[in-house]
Amino acid sequence: MIRTIIGLVIVLALSAIVVSSVSDYSMPSELIGVGRGYTEQGVNDTGSVNLVTAVVVAYRGLDTLGEVVVLFSASTAVVLILTLIPIGANPTPPSSIVAFTAGILPGAIVLFGIYIITHGHLSPGGGFPGGAVVASAFLLVMLGSNTIPGKSKFLTSIESIAGLTFGLLGFWGMLTLGQFLNNLVLPAGSPGRIISAGIIPLISLAIGAKVASELSGVFASYRKAGGEK
Amino acid sequence: MTLLAAASIGTGVMMLVAAVAALVVKKLISAIIIVGFVSLSASVLFLLMNAPDVAITEASIGAAISTVIFLWGRGKIGGEE
Repeated sequence: MIRTIIGLVIVLALSAIVVSSVSDYSMPSELIGVGRGYTEQGVNDTGSVNLVTAVVVAYRGLDTLGEVVVLFSASTAVVLILTLIPIGANPTPPSSIVAFTAGILPGAIVLFGIYIITHGHLSPGGGFPGGAVVASAFLLVMLGSNTIPGKSKFLTSIESIAGLTFGLLGFWGMLTLGQFLNNLVLPAGSPGRIISAGIIPLISLAIGAKVASELSGVFASYRKAGGEK
Repeated sequence: MTLLAAASIGTGVMMLVAAVAALVVKKLISAIIIVGFVSLSASVLFLLMNAPDVAITEASIGAAISTVIFLWGRGKIGGEE
């Protein structure tokens, strides 16, 4: 009871601080600063119709590279810890509804994920969301099977090749235009076409493959690890 | 108040109620499903606020993947609390 009251008091105090700090904040009526620059110049600068992808991959490409490194180290640590746990027994067989769904849906989900990845510069999406969607298809496959997943050299080689591709695309800009991850080493093309926006589609593909293979590897090692039950 | 703002506030209130319910509910599996529902509502909220990019990520990672990870973890620690 006392713990509940103390927790409630802390939450209320923190809420009061947040409310008092944002109460005099109002939305500006027009875009200012760097946001204005992005919205006015973005399509001309990068050739990408989706400005979110233009910012994430082209303007702030180095940050995205850092994000990929963060995901890589996190998944490596998780897999490392999970391999210390001895391999468990086969999981209990799924119900017939799950087994049937896992038999027909993953293909469509993978296709949708690839669509999100390849159309990142045209419609909402990009490498990270698309990769996560593709990985969720593999998750569904694992849910529908009653055996633990085996070892896969294929998965780790896709992951390495994708990460290497991202870095090499960055160095391509450095060699030709003197700027790491410069977007326009390939022509910007006409905005709105699928082959346009410089190297944004290629980087999206690399990120998507890397995220999908990393998350799938984490799921597989999680599924393999034994437990109490 | 526009319809969009009303829908956003309604989704936000629904999220708050579900988040408190996840804390007070007795069965662990119910709490996990409710947390998944909170993520799904967050995804709808992002969509209402014109952020479809974030909505896709939240729906796939928050609602689908983390829910299944929690369910597997519950199966591995073996039981209810």
